[in-house]
Amino acid sequence: MRILINSACALVLATTFLTPAFAAEKVTIATDATFPPFESIDSNGKLIGFDIELMEAICKEAELDCNIIGAAWDGMFPSLIEGKYDALISQLTVTDKRRQVVAFSDIYDHPIFRFTAKKGAGITISPEGVAGKTIAVQTGTPMDAYVTAHMPNATIKRYDSGSAPFLDLANGRADLVLGYQAQIVHSFLQKEDGKDFELTGPEMTGKDAKEFGEGVAIAIGKKNTKLLEDVNAGLAKVRDNGTLKALMTKYFGE
Amino acid sequence: MNWNVIAENAPLYLAGTKLTLFLAFTSLAISFLLAVPLAFLRNNERPGLRYAVSAYTLLFRGTPLLVQLFLIYFGLAQFGLIRQSFIWPWLSSPLVCVLVAFVMNTTAYSTEIFAGALRSIPVGELEAARAYGLPKRKQATRILVPAMLTRSLPLYGNEMIMMLHATSLASTVTLLETTGVARRITLDNYIQFEPYVTAAGIYLSITFVIITAFQIVQRRFAGYLEPRSA
Repeated sequence: MRILINSACALVLATTFLTPAFAAEKVTIATDATFPPFESIDSNGKLIGFDIELMEAICKEAELDCNIIGAAWDGMFPSLIEGKYDALISQLTVTDKRRQVVAFSDIYDHPIFRFTAKKGAGITISPEGVAGKTIAVQTGTPMDAYVTAHMPNATIKRYDSGSAPFLDLANGRADLVLGYQAQIVHSFLQKEDGKDFELTGPEMTGKDAKEFGEGVAIAIGKKNTKLLEDVNAGLAKVRDNGTLKALMTKYFGE
Repeated sequence: MNWNVIAENAPLYLAGTKLTLFLAFTSLAISFLLAVPLAFLRNNERPGLRYAVSAYTLLFRGTPLLVQLFLIYFGLAQFGLIRQSFIWPWLSSPLVCVLVAFVMNTTAYSTEIFAGALRSIPVGELEAARAYGLPKRKQATRILVPAMLTRSLPLYGNEMIMMLHATSLASTVTLLETTGVARRITLDNYIQFEPYVTAAGIYLSITFVIITAFQIVQRRFAGYLEPRSA
């Protein structure tokens, strides 16, 4: 009798602990939704944008049960490292510093970085030209790293979100914002607030400064090699079947 | 654990702590000077004055400080009229916006604390002052204000501590005070526990000093209010 109870218990325990391994696990993916047109929240509270659609396409191809959620920028990397999230998609540039703490999928885009300023402001984009000017950036981004390293004579204002720098540029508290060119054009210059502003200075990529990274990719927990393989496989399919190209055209034109 | 990062950023924490102290004590000093007269107006015989002050304290106690700060920093900046006016050079500075929000907020709470203490002063003390023939102004400065402040001490100590902790909101508008420093280290190094525990330790130490100072002041000036032992 005792043996029977014991084995029954063992069976119950085994099923309780083993079941999740068989079921399709939910993959939690976080994004900082303050960065249109890549990721933002629409008026119904739904996540929208290039990265969101790309991630959904990858999950579909890789047959992953994905749950994409909005998260605060300052907690994203620590929460991925701790395992609260399984992956991050947020136009994350691949840098050596980030590679030390997380793994990255294959690169899916090479963003261009630009400054924006008031039309006719006549600011020369160089360490001397921006001396005494106020540059607004999002904290902990490649843009922050670049101005911090190369423009020490400028006043650097750092914000928690991707959209706040534009508020302070529009109202005159800042002279320049450094951002992704697509972000500047689509979320600022084309809007009412941005009509008096323009792109300025050279187009910059990871080839011009190491702070801009190697390109953007999906960040995944270092130990989660299975998910990394799945995401890379999904990304390859999305690239091959033309979905990635179609998304680029939809969001950024030719 | 990665405490080396904290040690490397010690100068940042020092600067952040200085800013925290500056924000808290500047706001508290200005608000103290405003709240004492406002407490008297709050109890004025003229209903107009009384209601005006209660409307102000209701407005600022009835809305979150973060909302007030965002309205002052981002909200006002939206209006072209304000951006072209003479106050813009002031309002364009995050430090000024933060101080305005903090002073307005803590003055509202302090006013109510002082006004409540004023109402709780026994009539006998005021009658004694009148019996000595003190003129109105001297009744206020010699009797009412000291009695009001000593009775407010425990509550006002709380308000000081709350104000100290509320300064952490300044980081949301780009000021790098203690919490802002912790957040910046989090974003640069992808660790959360160590930077925030360090920030918590700094706030705790300052709070400890405030509490100790209040106990000394309480014993020195408000001892007469303590229940007497037989």
